[in-house]
Amino acid sequence: MKPTLTIVGDTFQWILDNTDSLLEQTIQHLNVSLTSVFIALVLWIPLGLFVHEHEEFAPPVIGTAGMILTLPSLALLPLLIPVVGIGVAPAVVALVLYSALPMIRNTFTGLDEVDESMIRAGRGLGMTDRELLFKVKIPMALPVIFAGIRQAAVLVIGITTIAAFFGAGGLGEAIFAGIRLDYPRQVLGATIVVSALAIATDYGLLLVQRSLPGGSLSDES
Amino acid sequence: MIELDNATKVYGDGTVAVEDVSFEVEEGETVTLVGPSGCGKTTTMTMVNRLTEISDGDIRIDGTSVLDQDPIELRRNIGYVIQEIGLFEHMTVAENISIVPDLRGWSDEEKSARVEELLDLIELPQTVADQYPGNLSGGQRQRVGVARAMAAEPDIILMDEPFGALDPITRQNLQEEFLEIQRALDVTIMFVTHDIDEALKMGDKVAVLRDGELVQYDAPKDLLGSPKNEFVADFIGEDRVLKQLTAVSVREVMTAPKDGDGAGERPLSPEESLKVALQRILQDGSPKMVVENGEVVGRLTEADVAAVAGARASEVLQQ
Repeated sequence: MKPTLTIVGDTFQWILDNTDSLLEQTIQHLNVSLTSVFIALVLWIPLGLFVHEHEEFAPPVIGTAGMILTLPSLALLPLLIPVVGIGVAPAVVALVLYSALPMIRNTFTGLDEVDESMIRAGRGLGMTDRELLFKVKIPMALPVIFAGIRQAAVLVIGITTIAAFFGAGGLGEAIFAGIRLDYPRQVLGATIVVSALAIATDYGLLLVQRSLPGGSLSDES
Repeated sequence: MIELDNATKVYGDGTVAVEDVSFEVEEGETVTLVGPSGCGKTTTMTMVNRLTEISDGDIRIDGTSVLDQDPIELRRNIGYVIQEIGLFEHMTVAENISIVPDLRGWSDEEKSARVEELLDLIELPQTVADQYPGNLSGGQRQRVGVARAMAAEPDIILMDEPFGALDPITRQNLQEEFLEIQRALDVTIMFVTHDIDEALKMGDKVAVLRDGELVQYDAPKDLLGSPKNEFVADFIGEDRVLKQLTAVSVREVMTAPKDGDGAGERPLSPEESLKVALQRILQDGSPKMVVENGEVVGRLTEADVAAVAGARASEVLQQ
């Protein structure tokens, strides 16, 4: 057995030797992840707003989103293949579904936590429901909503790796190829890049979140 | 002018919150609504800007029923201050103050000019304009809340226990300042409080409510001098005579100065309350001169003060 230091050295050597293909796979990876997060935003944030206005829908919607998140991705992805085919499409559908819980739940919670006195003051000063929503409720809920987006983004970057198994491309390709070829330094190297990507996304979005007014107050992950 | 005409609020479950309350608030007057909690004072007030809808009766502003006005437009024409203040934490102080002008589409120049003017009025430094409310003290926050209510120059301001959450010293300072502001402006104010001292101090007239009904509606002096029933007398408290001295100004009681009267030690201002005057007379053991704009305009003795207290006290005893 090789000493640990050699394995680490080999892995970094492998990363340096394969920067070109890694860069390409990183771009593919980000492409799948970001597309999914963007579609999820367009779907789930409005749904979160909706269930907050119509609270009777909140338990079933958030419950369903929670259930989806418990499905293992290795089980969900093959289930989607007959429906949307192989490649990027099932990956995006699955990733959008996985984003539902953090995004819907945080939008709902964020709006729910807006201080009642601000809403009363806003109403008393003559704001319409729409003005209250866009000028007071959403801006106040934004740090919490954003925390949900951040959580979803990190989750999606992780699961995109698995989607490579079903032809979505990205850094997962290198990992699965490494496993098949029994080439540990490749498995380890690609994993390190995925992790770095997730951590960088998490930290980058956290900085954005903190820069929102009132953002530093709500650090829910 | 605000006219409440048998205003009644009955909730869906049959609870009567306010029943047949009628009174008028003259233009430029401040009316305080006071009573124990659950007496319907806040409900009465919020019926004016339709945050609470009237079940029966009517409320008219300058002759027009509030029911005939669009609630949003109505509320933008009426300032509103609440105890919790409800400053928008994600907006700067300037943005908070100019929210109603903003909703009404004022230009940026008009808004910032108004903010500057109001910060001066509420005695906050211009530098707070760009700060967030989270950085302000409780007293400063409430000042901003008052400025926000006044921003679009409403003719009417509704205030729901605006100073209730402040410490006694800050509250007193703000009360004094607000009285000054209010004298300078020609604005009609409805002011809800559970504190009878505040009601007597701030109101030109005081409406005492109990269980949703108006018990008495009078000027503070008359309320103190002749409480309508035991409830009002109890609510005012044991120290009624002393409170009365707070409500009467030196100007109302002073006698003409004698020729050759000098200003003497520690002269009084005519706007001072009899309570302050009496304290000074007792401390110094001598009658006081009243000085306005550097001129002696009157004199006040212990007997003058006692006459007021005695007369009022005996009036009360006759009830």
